[in-house]
Amino acid sequence: MEKGKTIIEGFGLKRYYQRGSETVKAVDGIDIVIRSGEMVSVLGPSGSGKTTLVHLLSCLDAPTGGSLLVEGVSVEGLSEDELAGVRRKTMGFVFQKFYLLPTLTVAENVELPLLFLRKQPDRAATMEVLGQVGLEDRAEHLPNELSGGQMQRAAIARGLIINPRLLIADEPTGNLDSENSKSIFDLFGHLVRDKGISILVTTHNLSLGRLANRVITLQDGKVVKEDRF
Amino acid sequence: MRFVSMAFKNLRRRPVRSILTITGVALAVAVAVSLAGFNLGYRNAIERSIDRLGFQLMIMSKGCPYEAATMMLKGGTGLLYLPSEIYEKVRNDPDIGSITPVFIGIAEKEGSGIRDDSGSAFAIIAGIDVQSYMEMKPWLEFETGTGFENGRWFKVDSEDEVVMGYEAATYEQRKVGDKFLATISPQGAARSIQKTFRIAGILKRTGTQDDGTVFLPLKNAQKLFNRPNELTILGIKMKQFSGAKLQEFESRWLSLPSVQVVSLQQVKSTLVMLIGTAQTMIAAVTIIAVLVALIGVINAILMSVYERTGEIGVMKAIGAFRGDIFQLIWIETLVICIIGAVTGTLVAISGSRLVEAAIKKLINLGVQGSIVLINWQIITGVMAGAVIVGFFAGLYPAWRAASMHPIDAIREGE
Ligand SMILES: Nc1ncnc2c1ncn2[C@@H]1O[C@H](COP(=O)(O)OP(=O)(O)OP(=O)(O)O)[C@@H](O)[C@H]1O
Ligand SMILES: [Mg+2]
Repeated sequence: MEKGKTIIEGFGLKRYYQRGSETVKAVDGIDIVIRSGEMVSVLGPSGSGKTTLVHLLSCLDAPTGGSLLVEGVSVEGLSEDELAGVRRKTMGFVFQKFYLLPTLTVAENVELPLLFLRKQPDRAATMEVLGQVGLEDRAEHLPNELSGGQMQRAAIARGLIINPRLLIADEPTGNLDSENSKSIFDLFGHLVRDKGISILVTTHNLSLGRLANRVITLQDGKVVKEDRF
Repeated sequence: MRFVSMAFKNLRRRPVRSILTITGVALAVAVAVSLAGFNLGYRNAIERSIDRLGFQLMIMSKGCPYEAATMMLKGGTGLLYLPSEIYEKVRNDPDIGSITPVFIGIAEKEGSGIRDDSGSAFAIIAGIDVQSYMEMKPWLEFETGTGFENGRWFKVDSEDEVVMGYEAATYEQRKVGDKFLATISPQGAARSIQKTFRIAGILKRTGTQDDGTVFLPLKNAQKLFNRPNELTILGIKMKQFSGAKLQEFESRWLSLPSVQVVSLQQVKSTLVMLIGTAQTMIAAVTIIAVLVALIGVINAILMSVYERTGEIGVMKAIGAFRGDIFQLIWIETLVICIIGAVTGTLVAISGSRLVEAAIKKLINLGVQGSIVLINWQIITGVMAGAVIVGFFAGLYPAWRAASMHPIDAIREGE
């Protein structure tokens, strides 16, 4: 993958919520560009707008202002299914609560996105992805037989199975202890270096956030600081 | 992995709930299958017993007794006759499936010497046309075994052959080939004549009036009683048996002078009415069972949809289209309904004997034999019904799931 190529660009992104007479400016005019091969972390206190921003960038939520381009194409006015199409072409997702389907094995969970893409799963490819997250020996286990850290790794493998250009992880270590959190961020670092994909990750944890190439700090829906490492 | 296998796996997630929901469907289906089977079986049983009566209708002279007891009581004096031309008129009625002319006379039996104390000194003599009579009562067969060998019908123009009903024959210990002596008083004659017949055959027991009857060729009977152009009864089977057809037929022929149309089945109208009532009840019970099952299915699926809000949101986030989620939930509903339908059908089939015994104990339906009949039409019909019900039951929950917004779903779970 060509390094430095733009994947997502947001200009003046706004997401206001109306709560009675009060307007909550969850995201209030953010310009952001994510390029291939970089790991970007979004830091900020609770309520600063991290999740809202991530949802805007993942086309899960529509901005109330500003514009968003994914791989150079504006996503404005696309239908729900068209947005899903954009997501599954470009992005993989990891969530704080893992959301593995408890009835499916680890391998089946990893292959789930292929079901929606109507692609025949290829067990070798699945095992390769599981290998990248260090779970090759857990393929046939059910999620409840895994530790929290392992569940999040399985979820990461599920995000990777479609070969996304960008992996989006909102608070992926929110339910994990510090040791597991560290190893997830280390894994992200490897994925960026070895596979050349980009990662957008939010966290409360300053020291983990600093493991990224770029750290964007939010406060009240605005970017207050941007550091490069 | 497919949607279908995901649906199956989801059902195993809450086994108790799934089993209860499936049981609800199975019960409804078992009720539907049993009741449909009862409806069909009962209908068949009624038809069978109507058939057993042979004639559905008889045309005879007004005031003429037609059943054995009355005839015996009157000592043969009460019999009234129809002119044969009525037979010629009626036989071409479009609603008639088959018709048979019968001449009945009463003869005095010559004592065989064995039972001189017997109170029954009379014999019912029936002159019949074998071919059309057998068309009415195809179950008539000749008794076989020692003493009954080579039983057969008499020749049409035979003047001295008879066939005897089982009771009539065994009462006097007659065998095939024996003599049968009767004293007949011909119409208008001053003196009765004695006549000796040879027994050509003895019929098997039927449990009907035929058992006590002595059969002769129609022509011969008419001649012996000196009523060459008269008949006692026209036995009739309709092409299509229904209350409405019956009425039409009756009103058509009631205009003939001094003729009555007698429906042999006072029972029949009761039975026909019973079918109607039973059907309404069956429909009501089935509809209630299906509604209860339907509500159960919708409720269970909705609950599982709400429980999986987060999962559904994530599936949409990772690229599931609305239609994918819709299908997933819908298939789950169909799977429940199909498993329930199969189980219910099996339960109904294996329990049909029990149902039958229970129904028979509850009410006397006045029919013999099996009254629950489950055939492939019923099974496929009910299966199709279950799929259609599942199809509709799944619509709302599936639509709810498909309409979930991924971020609401994800945030809700967090
Ligand atoms: N649906 C909504 N309606 C109204 N206000 C909302 C809604 N969703 C989020 N907000 C508000 O937007 C602001 C930003 O929320 P957001 O979840 O993006 O913060 P966050 O940085 O992710 O916080 P955390 O670190 O706790 O996850 C908050 O003040 C929140 O209350
Ligand atoms: Mg958040």
